[in-house]
Amino acid sequence: MMAARPPRRRYYTRSKLCRFCADASLQIDYKDSDTLRSFITERGKIIPRRITGNCAKHQRHLTNAIKRARNIALLPFTVPRR
Amino acid sequence: MRRYESVIILEPDMSEEDVRKFTDRYSQLIRTNNGEVIKIEDLGSRRLAYTVKRKDRGRYILLDYVGGPAVLKELERRLKISEDVMKFLSVKTADVVDLEAFKAQPEARPAEEPVKEAAAETPSESEAVDEEALKEEAQAESAGIREAQVPEEAVSSPAGVSDSGENSEASAAENRDKEGE
Ligand SMILES: [Zn+2]
Repeated sequence: MMAARPPRRRYYTRSKLCRFCADASLQIDYKDSDTLRSFITERGKIIPRRITGNCAKHQRHLTNAIKRARNIALLPFTVPRR
Repeated sequence: MRRYESVIILEPDMSEEDVRKFTDRYSQLIRTNNGEVIKIEDLGSRRLAYTVKRKDRGRYILLDYVGGPAVLKELERRLKISEDVMKFLSVKTADVVDLEAFKAQPEARPAEEPVKEAAAETPSESEAVDEEALKEEAQAESAGIREAQVPEEAVSSPAGVSDSGENSEASAAENRDKEGE
């Protein structure tokens, strides 16, 4: 079957630029749970950088910060389904 | 000399005076071990992301200090024993610090000194963490973080180090649950 596939719809919008590269004043700090919170899902999982558009370096710093924040109960490890 | 910071979660129902006694005791401890306290910040009472010791709130204290590994070791030993401490996390924020520079001008930090955030991270708690959390920890972070002396990739990261004061202020401001002081 050689029929061309219909183009897949992507339902998320990927931001083009890493937020931390774009704004140098935006720091990654494990104590800053509000900033970190925008990079985890409602279930507490870390959002992949293919969605957030972060660069590899900042995603790495971010995941480390999120894991630290989890350790001191600023962020959840998991949000259980009710 | 190294620079460390420890975030300590105290029991939420401690009185202001007990909190002050606590911080005094620990800054004393740092100094007697030839360390120097850079700052102690009360981040206030916050809602915890999960219950710790069956409590859903905790009093967050940030300890920023300079010292040798012995300071950290003794501090953590004491934190583990303390009844007031629910949980704590220590992070090394700089490998080489000139202690005299801090003593000379306690508030002014050596500006823009390239410091790397290495993994002297010892996630320890005074109670057993739930198994699932530990498992996720283990696979996600592998061995690196638990071996305190193995430095992470030497990235000169401005995050959380030279500007840590600023960051902490941000997190303090963001703390809308903060109860009166
Ligand atoms: Zn970036």
